[in-house]
Amino acid sequence: MDEKSSEMRILLGGPQGTGLETASQILAAAYAIGGYRVYSMREYFSNIKGRHSYIGLRVNPEKQPLAPIEGPHIVAGIDAETIFTHFTEAIQDTIIIYDTRVFKTKLRSIASMEKYFRDRVRETLEKSNYDTTVEGALRYASEELGAKSIGLDYQAILNDFSQEIGISKYQAQRYLNTILVATIANITGLSLDELKRGFKRRFGSKVEIIEDNMKLSAIVYKFTADLKDKIKIPTPHHSPDEYLVVNGNEVVAMGKIVGGLRFQSYYPITPASDESFMLETHENLENYVDKSGGIVVLQTEDEIAAISAAIGSALTGARSATATSGPGFDLMVEALGWAGINEVPVVITYYQRGGPSTGLPTRGGQQDLFSALFSSHGEFPRIVISSGDHEEAFYDAITAINWAEKYQTPVIHILDKFLANTTITLELPHLEKIAIERGDLLQAPPPNYKRFKKNGSPIAPRVVLGAENAVIWYAGDEHDEEGHIIEDPINRLEMHELRMKKLEIAHQEIPQEERAVLYGSGEDFLLVGWGSTKGVALEAIELLKREGYKGAYLHLRVFEPFPKEYVAKILSRYKPEKIIAVESNYESMAAKVITMNTGFIFKKHILKWTGRPIYVKELSLATLRILEGLSSREVLSYGA
Amino acid sequence: MVLRADYKTDLWVDWCPGCGDFGILAAIQKALSELKPKPWQVAIVSGIGCSGKTPHFIYSNGIHTLHGRSIPFATGIKLSNPDLMVIIDGGDGDLLGIGAGHFVALGRRNLDITVIIHDNQVYGLTKGQASPTLQAGIKTKALPEPNIQDAINPIALALTSGYTFVARAFAMDIDHLEEVIKRAIKHKGATVIDVLQPCVTYNDIYTTQWYRKRIYHLEEEKGWNPIVERPEERYEKLGNALSKAWEWGERIPVGVFYEDRTKDTITDRIAQRIPSYYNKPPSKQAIERYGKPLLDDAKFREIFASYLVKVEK
Repeated sequence: MDEKSSEMRILLGGPQGTGLETASQILAAAYAIGGYRVYSMREYFSNIKGRHSYIGLRVNPEKQPLAPIEGPHIVAGIDAETIFTHFTEAIQDTIIIYDTRVFKTKLRSIASMEKYFRDRVRETLEKSNYDTTVEGALRYASEELGAKSIGLDYQAILNDFSQEIGISKYQAQRYLNTILVATIANITGLSLDELKRGFKRRFGSKVEIIEDNMKLSAIVYKFTADLKDKIKIPTPHHSPDEYLVVNGNEVVAMGKIVGGLRFQSYYPITPASDESFMLETHENLENYVDKSGGIVVLQTEDEIAAISAAIGSALTGARSATATSGPGFDLMVEALGWAGINEVPVVITYYQRGGPSTGLPTRGGQQDLFSALFSSHGEFPRIVISSGDHEEAFYDAITAINWAEKYQTPVIHILDKFLANTTITLELPHLEKIAIERGDLLQAPPPNYKRFKKNGSPIAPRVVLGAENAVIWYAGDEHDEEGHIIEDPINRLEMHELRMKKLEIAHQEIPQEERAVLYGSGEDFLLVGWGSTKGVALEAIELLKREGYKGAYLHLRVFEPFPKEYVAKILSRYKPEKIIAVESNYESMAAKVITMNTGFIFKKHILKWTGRPIYVKELSLATLRILEGLSSREVLSYGA
Repeated sequence: MVLRADYKTDLWVDWCPGCGDFGILAAIQKALSELKPKPWQVAIVSGIGCSGKTPHFIYSNGIHTLHGRSIPFATGIKLSNPDLMVIIDGGDGDLLGIGAGHFVALGRRNLDITVIIHDNQVYGLTKGQASPTLQAGIKTKALPEPNIQDAINPIALALTSGYTFVARAFAMDIDHLEEVIKRAIKHKGATVIDVLQPCVTYNDIYTTQWYRKRIYHLEEEKGWNPIVERPEERYEKLGNALSKAWEWGERIPVGVFYEDRTKDTITDRIAQRIPSYYNKPPSKQAIERYGKPLLDDAKFREIFASYLVKVEK
């Protein structure tokens, strides 16, 4: 075990389509039921079956982990590729679990491995005079890094199992992932009964599947008897009575349902679609919620239709949203401007992935901040919220619809792939704290109602399309008070100004320290970031304390209206060379947005654009290098 | 509020004198005058171009959207408030060029919306380029060279996309167009009316006179019955309609090509999954109680039980 932490870090790898995600869900559930805090990230190719994917699990008895960290205690591979891909990540005492039948497998025989990666692995092994085989890689891990390899004959285990339950060897292959699950469970000190809770959780009422998995697990426990409790995780003492086990997509869907969303239109895209699937799964609310009906979830023909339908729906008064990622958002921006000029409360949930173009479609990044802030021609007010973790994502999903209605303008809620596909244990939200704010929404129109009659106030009372006694016009053209086309210069002067002024009102009304949040008070350095940088920054600051550096983290939550006075105030407390922007992009976009709003020019940057998340130790080391004056710009690249 | 029996607004209608749009506008207004919906119960949705202005001239809710996007906007409106009478006015370029994907998608959904295509074979407001309904080889006034792209057949496309009411009319025959519009509005499902119309400024080939010489009424054809009363008639009637769809030249049919009364709509399918849908569509549900969510902690646990883990110490 890592002497610095009492937690357990597990890396599970194998070809896509072999049930790795299921394996991680079973383990996560088993640990969560045991009261542990779980963090489970997932990396995968744009591929359905065959390419290497892996899961990084952190199991902590006391604190919720919110970022990946280097140095797995267990690496468990379904196949040879997992060993070749991850053996260099081993640290002192890492246990590597592999299939003895791939022991002699040669690196060059792994067809699914990308050439560049394979070449780098070969170089690593050859440079230190190891064979380019699984055996060589395992020897490298043991001799160079201090890892221990434990080989299991997966097929012998499956043979015993298939005979016991009377299925063919071929049918038994789909249980490969259970071998890893049970081995890890045994090593980390879960009893069979405790493991069963994970299977029950995952498979629910499918009793046969649970029983079969338990039979296999018992066989595995026998095979791995000498590994039992090898690295038992300390028992948790202060766990709550219950957790949600959710990923970013799911938690946003939950927020939307609580927040009263009643219409979502979407076009399939990674990593956003799972949110819409979850909404559709819960579309029928009438049995649960008094006075409620359901949520209409519409899969459209493209993203243009997705946002257009959401806008149309929003006009009728239903809380409406769409969810997408970069390429889909690109298609939405013309309609975004329509929603802007027509003051339509619509929400776009924007999961960033690696761009531009198709880019790294299943990997992460924070490259779309400018896109969210500046896309679409002309000027119009928009609100841009960014979530840094699952808890923020839940509440932000509600805030987004509230602000959309309150300020009658589109709201873009930015998340990223790292959050979307990371599952954590989360304490239940406090629903009584949540407000549903619909803004100046009238049930019935006053006499001579005009949708855009503002009487000097930027926010006009809103009556929905279809309301009795109200006739309303909307147009993409500049409009008069009734919504009709008008090109009159003085009307343009006033209408445009009134629209733009809504952002000033939002800026006055929404507390700035909620739009940028300062964590910690260390005076030695300040990390500045947004989105999923939050978790890794906070953990890196903890780690750096042990090196004698006390830091703080400024977390940007709302980019429009930007909390400029507050951010400027926090930045002014630090010497410019102690302020470091940390972002998953090349340009340091958030730093530039800060410069635009405050005039402060960043001198120090830590950046990563490999499509993989920032890890705690690489961030800590990069921060150290900057603080010690060795570097102004650090580029990170950890992770396969 | 004041109701206007003629469904006219006070705006000056700024189309070219003689434009076919006047006929379509008049026919819609007359149809509404007879059907007498309250103006707030109607939503006229348009795209971009001369026809895009239509909603501003009609005294009812009007949503003048983006180029090509009237259908998805209208789809969101109708799904969230199925009580609204939703009518789309769009140009041939708008609905069949830039918006063709949406046109097909609406047919697949058979959502109860009426689509009126202003079909004049040119893009008027951008000064006379060829629209997707202009035949290849034709050179209308503003084109530098004859058109080198083949035309889309709006009727055939609508039939194969799943629209359950497909008709054609002529903009300058307002009474007939009004009748077709009324039938289309009353039909439950996605409906298309391809309205042939002159563009007096940019289309010097397909003029009012040109059409007048060629148009005949399907209703007057002996034995013509486009109505599907039983599902098993569907493919035969579709076949008949498709044959008629390709008739063009010396004789051009107008009237109803196809009317399927047997097919359910997407809202019917939603209502099968969410039984309260028609009574409580998205726009008509309460979503808060005294400023708080309708869901409380207990309901939250119930709905999201599959995500909830009880810690067993």
